[in-house]
Amino acid sequence: MTRYPLAPVTFLTRNMTKIMPMVGVIVLATLLVAGIVAIMDSIPLSIRTTYGYSKNYLGVSPRGDNDLTPKLRRILEEESPVPIGDLMTCRASNFEVRSIVGPWQFVIIGLHDEDVKPYLDRMGGGKLVGRLPKAGLPEALVSAPLARNLGLGIGDQLLGPNTQDSYSALPVKVVGIVENPLWLALTSFEYLALYHLPPIDLLIAMSKDPARQAEMDSWTVARFEKERARVFTFAELEKQTDKMFEILYMILNVVIGLLVVVITVMMSLLMGIYVGQRMNEFGLLQALGFTRERLVRRSLAEALIVVGLGWASGVLVSFGFLSLIKAVLFEPNAFMLDPLAPRAYAYTLPIPVAIALAVSWNVVNRFRRFDPIAVIERRSA
Amino acid sequence: MIQACGVGLEYADHGKSVCACAEIDLEVKPAEFLGVLGPSGSGKSSLLYLLSGLKRPTSGRVEYRGTSLSTMQDAERAALRWSKFGFVFQQPYLLGYLTAVENVTTGCPGTTMEEAMERLSILGLAEKAHRLPHELSGGERQRVCVARALAGSPEVVFADEPTANLDHTKGFEVVAALLQNRGEGALVLVTHDPAILKDANRTVTMNDGRLSCGMAPTRD
Repeated sequence: MTRYPLAPVTFLTRNMTKIMPMVGVIVLATLLVAGIVAIMDSIPLSIRTTYGYSKNYLGVSPRGDNDLTPKLRRILEEESPVPIGDLMTCRASNFEVRSIVGPWQFVIIGLHDEDVKPYLDRMGGGKLVGRLPKAGLPEALVSAPLARNLGLGIGDQLLGPNTQDSYSALPVKVVGIVENPLWLALTSFEYLALYHLPPIDLLIAMSKDPARQAEMDSWTVARFEKERARVFTFAELEKQTDKMFEILYMILNVVIGLLVVVITVMMSLLMGIYVGQRMNEFGLLQALGFTRERLVRRSLAEALIVVGLGWASGVLVSFGFLSLIKAVLFEPNAFMLDPLAPRAYAYTLPIPVAIALAVSWNVVNRFRRFDPIAVIERRSA
Repeated sequence: MIQACGVGLEYADHGKSVCACAEIDLEVKPAEFLGVLGPSGSGKSSLLYLLSGLKRPTSGRVEYRGTSLSTMQDAERAALRWSKFGFVFQQPYLLGYLTAVENVTTGCPGTTMEEAMERLSILGLAEKAHRLPHELSGGERQRVCVARALAGSPEVVFADEPTANLDHTKGFEVVAALLQNRGEGALVLVTHDPAILKDANRTVTMNDGRLSCGMAPTRD
């Protein structure tokens, strides 16, 4: 197929060495912005993933008086508009997991023997390597991502007396690892009751229909507002996470805004040089009979192709880079990173838009003051 | 075909008004070879720009087939230049990233590669049709410019010192190529070298922006 010699693509494909620096700048800018946003986003994503188990149930803790637990249980049983499947009493304690921003507190839940299987079923089950913890013994069951995060295998210590942040009076060893994508850590109710504070019985409430858990969560939060109780739901976690990152994202927006301005100015200058180098060509074409409008359209088309190519390549390079660091750095530690996060790429959109606007202005402005005769005579001189 | 009546061109240079052309009355007739002779700075290139619609006169008027070029919109004048006129400039201006044959297609709307190839063949450049300008000699580049100017068989070809950067032999070759291949089109050739105009039907001389009273010998 013969391409029209003056098609924008002809110039671009035959002058790759001239356009590559501009494409490269846009690629790097896109990579920079997408990389920053994706890595920043990995923090709330990690929170949502690490504590994702709480999507499957709600937790209720009495405030100040352990004797309130039976009353709270009764309210749930008698008043919940959503039918309850399992209602478990448990104990909980904290230990540390590793995250991209340092250690995070995670919860180990102590369950009665009869509750362990329903609990795991609710979480989606999974192949169990090893066995379940025995009542009263310093044993724990963890899920595969958690084991990967802490580098644990069967027989390794999860909690112990020799660590301040994952403390237990006795060395708590991992006796089972369940192949489940959620982060889970379980021990026996009896062991936590014997060796861990606070001595508070918590409630775990699961809706009968898992699809109605969120509905039950909302009702419980509203119903227990005036009770001496605290309700833990996934929705609350999301709300807290969003609030926590509100200011961070505001700062991020400013940083990216500045970045876009700097890159746009830089690209505008580069494009100015690029268009300036071609004024002889435009002068000749205008002398031959090409209209100014046609040349402006052609220059704009070329500029937009460069910008579009740069951005599209930038998105691909970003995806490749993020996938690489996910595979090499994040996955082995069970850290979260989504190389396909739409938000990361949405944040890069102002780059091509701002550059396209600045370059269009530059091109139109140059042609407004352009006299082809001056170009031809200058070259003749 | 092209009629210039009392045409003048002034422009400002560092705050001073400079007269490039003044009170020029001239007609370009169909199919004629009109030579414009004059020393450097005499205003002959400015006259060529005025006759071809590349510049608007500051006084008088230029008409093409009875229509004033001054009243035409820029786009109309551009369309006229592209479809009815051909240009050869002093420097062999070619687009560096296009091959010789591709450059020829830019001379006139709708010029196909086959037509452009034919033009180059006539000018003896068939074998170099797919070379880039930097792979051609100065004379070859200027002949490609001639092929481009003749693409679409224009009604008038304007040539501004087309031999200035060539040696005598090559210069004559270029002019011969223009003369032999212009078909029914007129040729307006601006030069400071009278020898180039030996075959002109008519020659006018410019001095200080004005046509000299005495015309050079005319050949029918």
